[in-house]
Amino acid sequence: MRNRNVVSLLMLVLGMLCVLMLAHAQNAPEASEKGKEVYENSCAHCHGVEGRGDGSAAENLLPKPRDFTRGLYKIRSTESGQLPTDQDLFDIITEGMPGSSMPPWDTALSADDRWEVVAYIKTFYDGFKESETPPRAISLEDKIPYAEESVEIGKGLYVDLGCVECHGNVGRGDGTSAPTLTDEWGFQTWPANLAQGWNYRGGADTEDIFKRFIGGIAGSPMPAFEGDSFLHFGLTAEESKRLSELENKDEMTEAEEEESGKFYEKMDAAVDIALNRAEGMELSAAEQQTYDNAMKVVYEKSWHLANYVKSLTPEKRPESAIGNNVLRSQYVQGALPPMDDAAWETLQSGYFPVVGQVVIEPRQFNPTIDSVNVKSFYNDTEVAFLFTWDDRTQTIGDETDETTGKTLEDALAIQFPVKVPQGPTAPKPYFLWGGRLPVYLWHWKASAPEQVTELTAKGINNAEAQEAQGELQTQSIYKDGQYKLWVKRALKTDDKKDLQLEPGVFVPIAFSAWDGANGDVDTKRVMSSWYAFVLEPVPSSKRFIYPPLIAILSVGFLFGLRAFVQRRNSEEV
Amino acid sequence: MKTYLLASLTVFLACCYVGNAFAADSDAGEMEMLVFPESYTAGSVSGGGTISGVVTFEGDVPEMKKLEITKDQAVCDATEKYDESVVVGEGNALKNTIVYLIDISKGKDFDKAAKLEIDQKGCQFNPHVQIVPVGVRITMLNNDKVNHNVHIFSSVNTPVNKQQTKNRRRMPLKAVKKAEGPVSVKCDIHGWMSAWIAYVPHPYFAVTNEKGEFTLEDVPAGTYKLGYWHEACGTNSGSPASVTVETGSTATQNFTLKLK
Ligand code: HEC
Ligand code: HEC
Repeated sequence: MRNRNVVSLLMLVLGMLCVLMLAHAQNAPEASEKGKEVYENSCAHCHGVEGRGDGSAAENLLPKPRDFTRGLYKIRSTESGQLPTDQDLFDIITEGMPGSSMPPWDTALSADDRWEVVAYIKTFYDGFKESETPPRAISLEDKIPYAEESVEIGKGLYVDLGCVECHGNVGRGDGTSAPTLTDEWGFQTWPANLAQGWNYRGGADTEDIFKRFIGGIAGSPMPAFEGDSFLHFGLTAEESKRLSELENKDEMTEAEEEESGKFYEKMDAAVDIALNRAEGMELSAAEQQTYDNAMKVVYEKSWHLANYVKSLTPEKRPESAIGNNVLRSQYVQGALPPMDDAAWETLQSGYFPVVGQVVIEPRQFNPTIDSVNVKSFYNDTEVAFLFTWDDRTQTIGDETDETTGKTLEDALAIQFPVKVPQGPTAPKPYFLWGGRLPVYLWHWKASAPEQVTELTAKGINNAEAQEAQGELQTQSIYKDGQYKLWVKRALKTDDKKDLQLEPGVFVPIAFSAWDGANGDVDTKRVMSSWYAFVLEPVPSSKRFIYPPLIAILSVGFLFGLRAFVQRRNSEEV
Repeated sequence: MKTYLLASLTVFLACCYVGNAFAADSDAGEMEMLVFPESYTAGSVSGGGTISGVVTFEGDVPEMKKLEITKDQAVCDATEKYDESVVVGEGNALKNTIVYLIDISKGKDFDKAAKLEIDQKGCQFNPHVQIVPVGVRITMLNNDKVNHNVHIFSSVNTPVNKQQTKNRRRMPLKAVKKAEGPVSVKCDIHGWMSAWIAYVPHPYFAVTNEKGEFTLEDVPAGTYKLGYWHEACGTNSGSPASVTVETGSTATQNFTLKLK
């Protein structure tokens, strides 16, 4: 239902664009008329009439819509340096590229139209015509099934091969090289957060991962990890082990020198064959055998590595914290656990997706934060929250924005209404930090990590620190690309501007987050719409009444869209 | 999830449309390229001459920026590193300029014994500008004991982006088929590392040394267009120098370059 509405709206917008674009038709050799028509109607406003990635909508997008004239494709089933297959192109058009603005076309275009448009986009790059042989596919044979030992071996390879340089210790895209990466066209780009497989451009199946690092992601800084990128290419596992032993010796005997020399010769020969093959030379049967043997070792390692990368991400994107997943603060007797207490491990996180704030200038079209994850405990007098969110870089306020001169830093704001709406249909404050109905905020900044400021706001540019502060206790930590923020407060306070909490009452909650390194400052940020949490009563009685209502109301995740339409009567959401 | 995608797309489009007119995205700027002959026949050259000269820099010499070393400091920051896009020596000698014959179609063969290497040393490429014959493999060296990735931004040939891990001392790269360049070489892991490769179809290319000197030997007697390329000063492809080479003698041609 939701889906269909959006699709039709999408079509409407696209339709409008097409009318505006009214293509000054470019001559497209050999392209079917149909493919051209589909392209110009559905793709050109992003990818450009001539396929240069410079359509009218491209300006604010990062990554940029692909420039098809270079023949660089990220998501391929083919070896590094090879073009994609038609099937690869068809699949990516069908599925879209999550984590970017490239939409899926599975419902909006028929399969026939998608095949036509595949043929058409190929005309933008002559390489497709020139290549005499079909692109070489990466072999998926002899897959090693997922198992703990395999993951363990893969973990070692992740470090040895240097994935860690970009993707970081546990894969959150926070490697030491992450902040300086640019793509083929000179635009900043970030390594994938390997803990969020749902944002992978090309799918998070083990096979997808396997193909991605073997073939490389053309146009991005991510290298291809093919054949001789692996240690001791051309040696068997035993030979490789022996050579490592020899290499680790402080001094080798003459016999050992000779032994290692043989290994080096063998490796050089294998590399030579691999290069001959890559340069398009026919291999003799013996050479082919040497090559296959060498690749067998490499592919085996690659499956272990793919299994490890797979282990870093949940099977699916978590369900948002609405409906049955609404965040429930758990009652405990006695003191609430501090930030690093093991008790937190026993709780399931509420998952609150955030999106770029695109309603008010300055906007954020290219968000780097995916979501805020929340756990909560309460007792008879207090409530404690543990907020967790991934951010590839720690920015603590010592950098400034080049254009505005404003201080950049990471931050999180947790938003509540000042007064809980009476019943699920009563109006909530406007989600963009209130309006006529004010909101109550907890504002944490990385420059003052042990402090959370209480704010009252009547609009996104109209927030004030409360006079009475100090009601919140805070702890925070940044590690391996992830922030943890712990906040504790009394359920009831004397301050009239504070939210007062009671078990069993559903309380609206929303989030804003800033990634300083991504230029987030002021209204340029990521946000969620209103969700809800509840101090789970003991024993629970209201559980079965509210969640469905909350679910219906929280469809508001599409807030940007809705806000667009409803800016005027914004108090009513 | 699809819903999120579609929704954000719609919002994007709407906003792009409302907020911004048809501001076309500007290109990164066409890189100035070398000019290659249509075809080239290699053979033995008898009665050739030499072209040599000095390239100097004119204008305020830009200060060589100290590179900000953001990682692997123990290896990469052991010695101070400077941006090498303009290296000017004594007497304003300009290093790293390619000087070459534009319109030669017949001449000597490549020196097959020449070592074709780029070293990655202390997280800097050496040399900064390397000439590589078409069809010949270049070997990347890594004695740094850190991971590098060799990223060659070809567009005529297939781009290369390949990890060279810390224990891979020598990594030969596959030969290319077409003349191209110069193309940029980078290491994304150490974002400051920068070099250039020119894939060339004939051997009449030289790169100036720290004294700004270049020499092209065994040039068959005749009159040629002499071109140059420098990463910050551009090319003279539009108005190349004309040089006449006589048997057994040396023709001199100097160049004075300014920032683009
Ligand atoms: C809203 C803008 C938008 C529209 C509309 C759009 N694309 Fe894209 N497309 C993108 C972006 C952005 C990328 C690059 C994503 C990335 O690099 O991660 C992309 C990438 C691609 C790629 C490259 C895939 C790869 O493996 O690298 C193909 C193919 C593609 N689009 C085809 C199409 C076709 C065909 C259509 C029309 C039916 C279309 N796109 C419509 C934005 C768009
Ligand atoms: C030089 C930096 C760098 C290194 C080293 C690197 N990556 Fe990446 N990786 C990236 C970047 C940047 C992206 C995002 C590419 C894009 O979508 O444009 C990425 C994306 C990915 C993705 C997501 C693919 C998708 O479909 O979106 C996976 C999986 C991945 N890398 C795995 C690896 C593995 C495994 C290794 C080591 C063998 C590795 N990477 C090494 C930079 C790197």
